[in-house]
Amino acid sequence: MSVYLYLSLIPEALIASMLSPEEFGVYYAVGSKKKSSGQAIFFQVNPEFRSKYFRIQEGLARCVPHEDGAPKASIYISVYRVLEHVPITELGKLYVVTQDGRTLGLEHSEEFPVNDDGLHLYKEIAPVTPLIASRLNAIDFFDLIVRNPTSLVTLPAVAFTELRLGELATDPVLGQAGDLPYSNMDHLREVLLDLKTKSVATKMVDRISPASFSYRTVKNGFYVGNENGLRYYPMPSSEVLLAQHYRWWRSANM
Amino acid sequence: MDKFWLYLSIGASILSIGVALYLFFWVKKQPEGSPKAKEVASWIRDGSRTYLKRLYRTLILVVVILGFLIAIVFSFDLSKISTSQVAVVPINGLVMSVSFILGALCSAIAGYLGMSVAVEANVRTATAANESINKAFRLSFYAGSVMGLAMVGLAVFGMSMIFLITKDAESILGFSFGASTLALLAKAGGGIYTKTADIAADLVGKVEVGIPEDDPRNPAVVADNVGDNVGDVAGMGADIFDSYVAAVVAVMILGASSARLGLNYVVLPLIICSLGILASLIGIQFVRVGKNGKPGPALNRGTVITTISFAVMVSAFVLATSVNLGVIWATITGLGAGVIIGITSDYFTSDDRKPVFRTAEVSQSGAAINIITGFSYGLASIVPSVIGIAVATLLAYYLAEVNGLAGIYGIGISAVGMLSISGMIVSADAYGPIVDNARGIAEMSGMDHHVIETTDVLDAAGNTAKAITKGFSISAAALTVLALFAAYAEVVTASGLQVNMSLREPIVVVGILLGLMTPPLFSALTMLSVTENAFAMIEEIRRQFRERPGILAGTETPDYDACVDMAAKGSLSSLLWPALIAVGLPLLIGFVLGPNALGGFLGGSIFTGVIFALFMANGGGLWDNAKKYIEAGNFGGPGSDAHKASVVGDTVGDPFKDTAGPSLNTLITVMSLVASLFAPLIAAFHLF
Repeated sequence: MSVYLYLSLIPEALIASMLSPEEFGVYYAVGSKKKSSGQAIFFQVNPEFRSKYFRIQEGLARCVPHEDGAPKASIYISVYRVLEHVPITELGKLYVVTQDGRTLGLEHSEEFPVNDDGLHLYKEIAPVTPLIASRLNAIDFFDLIVRNPTSLVTLPAVAFTELRLGELATDPVLGQAGDLPYSNMDHLREVLLDLKTKSVATKMVDRISPASFSYRTVKNGFYVGNENGLRYYPMPSSEVLLAQHYRWWRSANM
Repeated sequence: MDKFWLYLSIGASILSIGVALYLFFWVKKQPEGSPKAKEVASWIRDGSRTYLKRLYRTLILVVVILGFLIAIVFSFDLSKISTSQVAVVPINGLVMSVSFILGALCSAIAGYLGMSVAVEANVRTATAANESINKAFRLSFYAGSVMGLAMVGLAVFGMSMIFLITKDAESILGFSFGASTLALLAKAGGGIYTKTADIAADLVGKVEVGIPEDDPRNPAVVADNVGDNVGDVAGMGADIFDSYVAAVVAVMILGASSARLGLNYVVLPLIICSLGILASLIGIQFVRVGKNGKPGPALNRGTVITTISFAVMVSAFVLATSVNLGVIWATITGLGAGVIIGITSDYFTSDDRKPVFRTAEVSQSGAAINIITGFSYGLASIVPSVIGIAVATLLAYYLAEVNGLAGIYGIGISAVGMLSISGMIVSADAYGPIVDNARGIAEMSGMDHHVIETTDVLDAAGNTAKAITKGFSISAAALTVLALFAAYAEVVTASGLQVNMSLREPIVVVGILLGLMTPPLFSALTMLSVTENAFAMIEEIRRQFRERPGILAGTETPDYDACVDMAAKGSLSSLLWPALIAVGLPLLIGFVLGPNALGGFLGGSIFTGVIFALFMANGGGLWDNAKKYIEAGNFGGPGSDAHKASVVGDTVGDPFKDTAGPSLNTLITVMSLVASLFAPLIAAFHLF
């Protein structure tokens, strides 16, 4: 049996497993008898990857089938500061898993989304999970929190996604919130208005935002990067998801 | 001449049954689809049949006991009780008993046919949806027509045959009571079943685990789909069969007891029903959607054409046979009341109207505000419907009187007029659960997403038809029980007593108060049954997920039978107290407090029964559509706080609209029939 390495973002962890990505997604999201379950996002990591920060070899050695022959589902190698110590060149496909275990694999793209003029809402996924509104596009936002030394708040690495703002992106006061499931919409409008009228580039919307979020609100894809680079994993359009990944899309819309 | 009309009624009923059977076999000839679809359909079919077998086993027990009691009680000729000369006429008891058994049997056959075709048509509709919406719509609607046409055909056939043989309108009371007994068990039992499964499946599947509707990993998904059939096909069919027969028998009794009317007016309701059958057969021909057409307007077109054809036929018949002109006005009044209540239901439950929009909007403030708002609009929805029924009652009464007919006979005719187009109405109603099931089968068997989208479009039209049918059945039941109330008074008067319903009589006031109390008590019992059974089923679903993680992972098949079995057993065992109330309470009040108190009791139960039925049907529909409105991408859409609040409101409304509300029609009809049937006995033996 093959052994895989996974970098989980919710929660942040490096895991060895004998399950394929799709099987691991189901296992990770819907849990076992231990009832650990919920939305999951993880990368497949190059199985040859080794690092002085992690006891990977030892973890792989422990990842052996159970006595009844069943594959070992998970060996946790590390659950702390994982993202910053895995080079993005070692990351394979990104798997986004719904809370009922439907798994969608995303390939990274060399092309980043085209910039637009409106405001942005970023959901940081790891290593911290705040909800941030910003005037900056995704690349500039990444620069600000990872690469830009002038910022007081910096992270060694980050995984985040941009959430849809709809009409609020251009008109925070009168724009229709429509199908945006965000709590405390009045506060969000105030924050966005501040970004439009004041000189700040980013503002915190929710500092204790839960790690999980609705996939249907993802604007265009996921970003992961550290001081050495940034990668973009585009999400297919809702039309493509409906036509080609119907089961995943249906669960993602719950 | 009257025999000619009776033969004509029998001919029309046989035609209706014949067309129903033809459509039944036509549906069965259509392709079933993939092996997986067939397997999923077989789970639903087996579950539905298992429930129906259990229901009918319970029914046989009840029918045997009641049939035996009726045979004994009606073997005594009580007309000379005042002179202490009570003759024993076994044939009378036998006739009434056989009539009672026939009523239950005809209703059971109609229900069985309807559900049999529904569980055959669901998978075929899903398969047809893969080709075109037109094909899928035609198949599902024709399958629904089997129920509609079988129901009206068997009802008219049964009543006509009994009257042809006995020439006694009162003996049809037994037939009606038999139909009501089945309706009570089928509607209340089906309502408890369907909401037990629905609520349990949603609360664990959607809310706790996050799996979508109709997902095959949910252990209650089959029970949920079975519930659509037992509640909305067999249950609703039995309910309208019950009102249909009760309305006819009430008018026949009123016709028979009014000497100035003559025999023609006894047979008249059967003739009107026959014209309704013909109008429904015409209307059904016009229910078609073109390529990429919309099913909702197609169903509405069928209903409109049926209504117009029926009005024209009744007018032509009245004018050609010199029947009193008041019959035309009373019929049109009944149809008008149905339209008003349909419009009211539509206004209070449509998402493009203020009540649903406001309820959805205030959901942003939480579940409590959602519930208060929905509750308030539900209460407000009573107003136009009650005014509609009140106006229809007065118009039917006075327009009949002005034309020389007994006013109360006019009210009865308005109920018969409204119910005569039941063939079409029930066809559209039974279409709903068929397409709902088709959607479930498409989802569970992994059909392509365009099939699911097609069945979604079909399902939306089915939901509207369902809401209209509920309004229709409530208003029909209201007018029917008013006629039955008058029939009760006639039977008591015929037994040598004068009914005194003065509010200055304390015994009457006591009767009214007890009557007012009964529908709320009945509602409470049926809804508590839902919560109790759902509580047990929720634990079972959680147990399966907890002990067998492979179910959620998709590597293990859930134990669907466990939930199907729990829902069936739970719903039928919960029927004891509601059934005892419906049959026992009028008898208890009649024999203890006397016929006047029983009259007050019937009046009181009609008032709160109609109010509660309207409130619950509209309130429940409103909460449901407020949730759907948010799910369509408003006020935050799925996953938002507003959505979570609306899910709570919808769950509260579920047993309102599908269990307690619709069962109240049957309750008030059954109680009125019990009172009328046993009126001679109560008139003879009562304490006060």
